[in-house]
Amino acid sequence: MLRARLKRQGGSIALRLIITCAALSLASMLAASAVFYLGLVHMIDANTDEKIYSQSRRMAQRVASRSPQQIADEVKDALVNGIDGDNDGEIYLVLDHDGHSLGGNIAGWAGVGAQRDTLITRPVLRRGDTVRARLMVRALPQNGILVYGYEADERDSIRPLMMHALLQGTVIALALAVAGALLFRRLVERRIGDVRRAAADIAAGDLRRRIAVTGDDEFGLLNRDINRMLDRIEQLMDGIRNVSNALAHDLRTPLMRVRGRLDEALRRPPDAGLLADTAAIAIRDIDELIRLFERLLQIAQAESGVRAGMRDHVDLQKIAADMVDMYDAAAELQGVVLRLEDGAPVELQADRNLVATAVASLIDNAIKHAGRGAVVRVGSAIESGGREGDCAVITVSDNGPGVPADQRDKVIERFYRLDQSRAVPGNGLGLSIVQAIATSHGGELRLGDAAPGLKAQLRLPRIPAV
Amino acid sequence: MRCLVIEDEVDTSRYICNGLRDAGYAPTAALTGDDGLAQALGGRWEVIIVDRMLPGSVNGLAVIRRLRELGHTTPLIIVSAMTSTEERVRGLQGGADDYISKPFAIAELLARIEALWRRSGIGRHALHLQVADLTLDVGTMRVTRGEKVITLQLREFRLLEFLMRHEGQVVTRTMLLEGVWDYQFDPQTNVIDVQISRLRTKIDKDFPRPLIHTVRGIGYRLAALTPLQADATGRSAATAAIAGE
Repeated sequence: MLRARLKRQGGSIALRLIITCAALSLASMLAASAVFYLGLVHMIDANTDEKIYSQSRRMAQRVASRSPQQIADEVKDALVNGIDGDNDGEIYLVLDHDGHSLGGNIAGWAGVGAQRDTLITRPVLRRGDTVRARLMVRALPQNGILVYGYEADERDSIRPLMMHALLQGTVIALALAVAGALLFRRLVERRIGDVRRAAADIAAGDLRRRIAVTGDDEFGLLNRDINRMLDRIEQLMDGIRNVSNALAHDLRTPLMRVRGRLDEALRRPPDAGLLADTAAIAIRDIDELIRLFERLLQIAQAESGVRAGMRDHVDLQKIAADMVDMYDAAAELQGVVLRLEDGAPVELQADRNLVATAVASLIDNAIKHAGRGAVVRVGSAIESGGREGDCAVITVSDNGPGVPADQRDKVIERFYRLDQSRAVPGNGLGLSIVQAIATSHGGELRLGDAAPGLKAQLRLPRIPAV
Repeated sequence: MRCLVIEDEVDTSRYICNGLRDAGYAPTAALTGDDGLAQALGGRWEVIIVDRMLPGSVNGLAVIRRLRELGHTTPLIIVSAMTSTEERVRGLQGGADDYISKPFAIAELLARIEALWRRSGIGRHALHLQVADLTLDVGTMRVTRGEKVITLQLREFRLLEFLMRHEGQVVTRTMLLEGVWDYQFDPQTNVIDVQISRLRTKIDKDFPRPLIHTVRGIGYRLAALTPLQADATGRSAATAAIAGE
């Protein structure tokens, strides 16, 4: 059971975090201790050496006028009287010039030939034990030798101390790591809990639910991103709902018309001519409906960006010229002058047919709504932009009645038509598709005032945002 | 002329077959991809019409790929309810010669079939075209009707050239849009009709015998027919479209 629990916990980020934290703090403790220990040993050694050097020199000078024997006696006295004590690892030895011990706290000295005035490390016999000692041999003025130093094992005595401190430190560090990780886990769980609860609510159907955004930390940013995504999804869902409503309404009327006409033809006495005519009209109406469907499908495709892979290198000015060329006869028929503004090539990566569809829709729109005698101008340009970089822009402007400022957002909506243009043939989808195509290219459709008339701008970023 | 129609939907299959039969073809229906592939490999066909989506293991695209892999060069037309440009491109890259979106009029299908056969035929690369007393010189861009020299704008010239190269055939608006303007989209408005009408005033207006004929609901046909004949053909195409119950 415990194993299962551990296994389950192993999947938790918190447990992994605790283990990682503990391992890291342990490693850093060990590293710090090692550095500290080595540094301390080095310092102690340096300190001892320095002490040995100066002490031995001072002693040698102080006793300059005395014979080795006198010095030895003094040392002996000092040791016996315990003035200096004999438990701090200090080592004295006075020898005559033959190397015979005159007195001191180590037994004998084999290194008569040892170099003078240099620090050496030697094993010596002291109080029955062989110990390692750090020593300096100094020649006394009156033919004797002073050996002075400290037990080197002195420094070993700090090791258990260090180990003890290390152990205690480790326990504390581990405890802190675990506590910290647990605290972090509670924090993470609380913040993720917000997201999970919101996700559950949304899955249950509450599409308006959003995650509370608190703070500017990573979770705050994540929550903000998720909320933005949810906004977009809701917007798309609304779009679909609107289309469904519009479809239900706008398709019912032509369908009713077709059905009514067929029904009526059937109720009359059979007449091949009448039936043929009725069928022909029905087919025309149905074709019209099919085109409407196509159009909606096209908008949906552009909006969902499924054609993102169809981009090629296109010249906006060329497309504008082609579309003007395609629509000039239609414009002429409507008594509208369609004019292409001269311009240099405007190159960008885009879906050629979609951009052509958009430009055609704008021109079509302008011709239909500007009215007889109007002038429609089509031009393209590159606008070196600020934040979003260079923009390829196609502008279609007319000098017709225009669109009131407060209606400009509305006319882009699917199936929306201005009261003044109800009599003009069309399905109210023209600008929606331009908008959808603009969006699918990371651009936008801007409607403005051409004073008088409508100025419609299709703006596409030249380097599409990823 | 033998046509194979690979289409799983019985009503659609019957509609296509009846339409083809009325137009003088000998259609055979196959209702699955497997059957279609077997029949396609087992017989000689002038044209094969394949539904893009077929039930079972072999879909329309697979049928086409298989046939092309095996070296068959029979003209292939895809009919599909998938209308996106990507699907179209995929179909054509897979080896189809044309792609028609559902729903479609029989006359559109007939026009496409005819266009496929003519594709490699005569007049494809000719520099001097003539229909009745109308002549067009591709090199000098000179157009005459009878004794009269006709001045055309560049696009009108290309439009007329396209119609003349397809002399006697029905060309649909989509075919004109693709062939003359090189775009694939639905311009919604009757831009093509207006262009044709303008061309017509220059070519036909002052002459007793019109050459550009409207095929109602479908497109146009440039032919040296009497007005009566033209009307009769137009009617028959429309009737064929309606009659395919």
